[in-house]
Amino acid sequence: MRLELTGKSFAGRPVLGPLHLTVERGQRMAVLGPSGIGKSTLLRILAGLDRDFGGRLESREKVAVVFQEPVLLPWQRAVANITLPTGCTEAEARRLMAEVGLAGQEDKFPRQLSLGQQRRLSLARAFAARPDILLMDEPFASLDRETAGRMMDLTARLLDRSGAGLVLITHDAAEASGLGAELFRLAGSPAALVRDERAG
Amino acid sequence: MLSVLLLLAAWWAVAAWAGDPRTMPSPWEVTERIAGLAASGELWLHAGATLLRVLASFAIAMALGTALGLWMGRARAADRWLNPVLVIGLNMPALVVIVLAYIWIGLNEVAAVTAVALNKIPVTAVMLREGSRALRPDLDDMARVFRMGAWSRLRHVVLPQLAPHVAAAARAGLSLIWKIVLVVEFLGRSNGVGFKIHLLFSSFDVAGVLAWALAFVAVMLAIDLLVLRPWEAGANRWRRDEA
Repeated sequence: MRLELTGKSFAGRPVLGPLHLTVERGQRMAVLGPSGIGKSTLLRILAGLDRDFGGRLESREKVAVVFQEPVLLPWQRAVANITLPTGCTEAEARRLMAEVGLAGQEDKFPRQLSLGQQRRLSLARAFAARPDILLMDEPFASLDRETAGRMMDLTARLLDRSGAGLVLITHDAAEASGLGAELFRLAGSPAALVRDERAG
Repeated sequence: MLSVLLLLAAWWAVAAWAGDPRTMPSPWEVTERIAGLAASGELWLHAGATLLRVLASFAIAMALGTALGLWMGRARAADRWLNPVLVIGLNMPALVVIVLAYIWIGLNEVAAVTAVALNKIPVTAVMLREGSRALRPDLDDMARVFRMGAWSRLRHVVLPQLAPHVAAAARAGLSLIWKIVLVVEFLGRSNGVGFKIHLLFSSFDVAGVLAWALAFVAVMLAIDLLVLRPWEAGANRWRRDEA
């Protein structure tokens, strides 16, 4: 996946400046930066959700997204929240649910699950799509430290096994290190992407 | 229930006070007429014809009105172009549409059903347009990222969000449609509840008019209780807490 961005504006106000970004299977990178700098905008461009930008996105890879909120279909049971969007079999969905620690919750509706469980379901859904590149937008935000740690270990394990690449949007360098991701930082106005030297 | 009993009591009192069963029959007399019509089979024949027209117009109006409302709610250009047509449709008197349909299409079933559906489509479209404007963008993003097919997206992402609006449009639609079907039958059909009321009107048979009207209200009430409410309960199951 290769992004050659010349610029991205909202209502005439430049948000992202020129930047080049390449990511492939097996490669992990994290984009850090303060709130409002344009991290989520960058992720939406990479996901193909925002096409109104200057430049070019080349992507033959299969992409899946773990959104900041779980974004589940509230009227569908947990297992259908994996099979319907991804088209995977029910057996595969159940296997993935067991892997993320949701065995026995298959027939519950999302609102009957805790936030941590909903996020794990969203993670299982992303891997059910068998992505080449996984895009994650602050996936551990608003989770308590213990739950966030467990979910990070889980993500690392699934990434190892599937060999998928990762673009992690976060404001916490520790999360990026925990997943073994190369650190980049969005800074300036309009924001540019720079390698985070402090993290080496 | 209490309100229905009070209404019956008031009707009884007015009938007794009027003292003229030809202009104001008592509830008992009307009930006897309904029983007589049911026993002779006439009720089922004409109520059945009306019901078929109601169902056909309802299905067409809901399908086209939902599609139109969804389109207008999602595409600003479509809303801009079609809104004036919708406003005209909403304000066009039902009688004008019926008369024109009979003149242009002929005194037949197609004209009858088309006229009723045309009266209801704008109402459904407006209700569904408002619903479509409130669709969750995050679910849209999710469906796009996972490349859900158009049909799957409509069925599993869009329509469940619109269910409360569809239910409201269906309920309002049924009550509106059956009233218009009666006018259509009154003007140009040779069977149905509207046709019978036309005949009874010419002989000023108030008990007969009330008998047919109340019998069909009962049919619509049954549809609401046996079809609409169970469907709504099923569609809203995910909102309830389960163990």
